Amino acid sequence: MSEGAVTVLVELTEEKGIEPVSRECLAMAGKIAGACGTKLAAVVMGNAIGDAAGEVSRYDIDTVYTLDHPLLECYESELYEAAFLQFYTIARPCGILMGHTLLSIDLAPRIAFALGTSLVTDCTGFEYGAEGLCFIKPVYSGNIYASLLIRGEPFMATIRLKSEEPALPSQKRHVEIVRVPVELDRTGAAIEVLERVVGENRGADLQSADIVVAGGRGIGSAEGFELLKNLAGMLGGAVGASRPPCDLGWVSPAIQVGQTGGIVSPSVYIAVGISGSMQHIAGMAGAKTVVAVNKDPAATIFKIADYGVVGDFREVMPAFTGAIRDRRKGGTTQGNRT
Amino acid sequence: MNIIVCIKQVPDPEGPPGSYVINPALNRVEARGIPPVLSLFDENALEAALRIKDTLTHDEVKITVMSMGTRISGAVLQKALAAGADELVKIEDGALESATLDSHATASALASAIRKKGKYDLIFTGRQAADWNAGQVGIGIARFLGIPAVTLAGKVTIKDGHAVVERVTPRGYEVVRTPLPSLIAVSNEVGALRYPTMMQRREAKHKPVTSWSTADIGLYGNPETRLVVKGFFVREMRQGRCEIIEGDTAATAGLNLAQRLMHDGVISP
Ligand SMILES: Cc1cc2nc3c(=O)[nH]c(=O)nc-3n(C[C@H](O)[C@H](O)[C@H](O)COP(=O)(O)OP(=O)(O)OC[C@H]3O[C@@H](n4cnc5c(N)ncnc54)[C@H](O)[C@@H]3O)c2cc1C
Ligand SMILES: Nc1ncnc2c1ncn2[C@@H]1O[C@H](COP(=O)(O)O)[C@@H](O)[C@H]1O
Repeated sequence: MSEGAVTVLVELTEEKGIEPVSRECLAMAGKIAGACGTKLAAVVMGNAIGDAAGEVSRYDIDTVYTLDHPLLECYESELYEAAFLQFYTIARPCGILMGHTLLSIDLAPRIAFALGTSLVTDCTGFEYGAEGLCFIKPVYSGNIYASLLIRGEPFMATIRLKSEEPALPSQKRHVEIVRVPVELDRTGAAIEVLERVVGENRGADLQSADIVVAGGRGIGSAEGFELLKNLAGMLGGAVGASRPPCDLGWVSPAIQVGQTGGIVSPSVYIAVGISGSMQHIAGMAGAKTVVAVNKDPAATIFKIADYGVVGDFREVMPAFTGAIRDRRKGGTTQGNRT
Repeated sequence: MNIIVCIKQVPDPEGPPGSYVINPALNRVEARGIPPVLSLFDENALEAALRIKDTLTHDEVKITVMSMGTRISGAVLQKALAAGADELVKIEDGALESATLDSHATASALASAIRKKGKYDLIFTGRQAADWNAGQVGIGIARFLGIPAVTLAGKVTIKDGHAVVERVTPRGYEVVRTPLPSLIAVSNEVGALRYPTMMQRREAKHKPVTSWSTADIGLYGNPETRLVVKGFFVREMRQGRCEIIEGDTAATAGLNLAQRLMHDGVISP
């Protein structure tokens, strides 16, 4: 492996804090750097990101590179790729880790093809052995895991959220902050952004919610979801969905949970009318307690749930919601223990 | 206008967990007892192309679907022709076993096939193939052909000789404009592939199908790969010990569930 550092592309939140998945990448990259005996670096891209660079430098890493340029204010494929390649030429990292996010889904393959190296996307871990560094990735709907060795340098991987305990700030070594000179203009860019439309923030509430009430195809309609919204509202939680309700337009695609949606690990995940496909479970398997309501006793979701009710949600959920509301109002509705 | 849609055949991703079997001798995963299907996002990609064909009535739009692999099932690809694609190009060869190709090799081979095909204004792919979910081949093809790539497309229209694409973003979506030719990688937000009529199914049988080997697209020997599969393994799924909460009626069960969750401190009363 070359001299360069294992480097994490740190993504910033709207408030210019560090994305949780980037903190996970820092932790994983730290382990990889330890195993391979290389340095650990982070790179931050954006406009006026001085404070963020300071924030990143609170972690236990060797170098923070900043790529600060007005044209990096918002993500644009070609500009970000060009800037990142300028950074690559200067820093020559031996490996690059990114969170598996909407940004890296677009950026990481561009960089891999531009550098003529390989990339493993959506990884959940790594292993380091005699043959070198392998990344672990769920394949075939998450039923199988593949361990993949990259021939070529730098190695590149994108990491799935909730794969690693996030790094915490801890200053153990002297951190060097390097401002990379970025030269950018739009002349080479073919793709032009005409408009940015802000909808429901993609799963932001969902991401941080302690209780998620999620509905699936079994909910049957947008109106059906009102029931779940009421419950979530009462519990101070957020509403999620499997893919069909998003595809069918009952709810915003922003709240999809799963392999190609958001990944959540709340204390409680209440899955209503969801069969429990592997692609859905990939997004919620980290929940502490899973509660399932489904009219089919054979639904897979019961295999991974802790509590379940077999029945039509239209009868189960109003009673469920009512019981919690009554109890909170000091009522004493009694059920029958069977 | 000429549109190429890259469609991959994969084992049904919704097959039961036992359907995917590790073959350690060949170091690959084999599907047992589940049918091959069109990769899900590739159906969305084809739908995006068909919608352009629906709206560009003044222009002649020709949609070519292109699929690469070994043992490609005719029945699976017929679906694309029945839904409205005009012709099919198959690149079929023992050397193109998808289990042994990485994204780099796949993109390079597909780009060669597209070059051989010649004229194209738009190339569509899915955002990721439903077997390995790499999400790299689209960008790779664009790179090899030297054309722009737009990913995570939720809607595509043609305007003034450009493609206008709504891209999914963390905060909603953005509208971008890209010149033709471009490659567009499509997400499920585009919508499901239309259902063919009986008539279309019959007509599909007469649509042109071309088969190419690796030599036809200028590939000799096994394609160079940069990813090596070191092994496969199975990991235990989250295990719940599901306690089914009963009740005389579904409503009572719901009420009992609520009380139980509050009693166990799962939900604070
Ligand atoms: C590459 C790929 C990526 C994917 N990514 C995702 C993803 O990110 N997230 C995701 O969720 N899916 C994803 N999918 C789709 C996934 O495979 C499943 O198709 C989907 O999760 C099924 O959703 P569902 O459980 O809501 O629907 P279904 O499987 O149709 O289940 C509906 C359930 O509702 C129950 N039901 C019906 N009526 C009632 C009622 N009145 N009361 C109670 N229960 C009722 C039924 O018994 C059934 O179990 C992906 C698929 C692929 C191939
Ligand atoms: N063997 C193939 N034949 C045709 N298209 C493919 C093939 N492999 C990948 N693609 C296309 O590339 C997209 C992304 O694939 P991947 O990068 O492998 O996840 C797929 O959705 C297809 O549109």
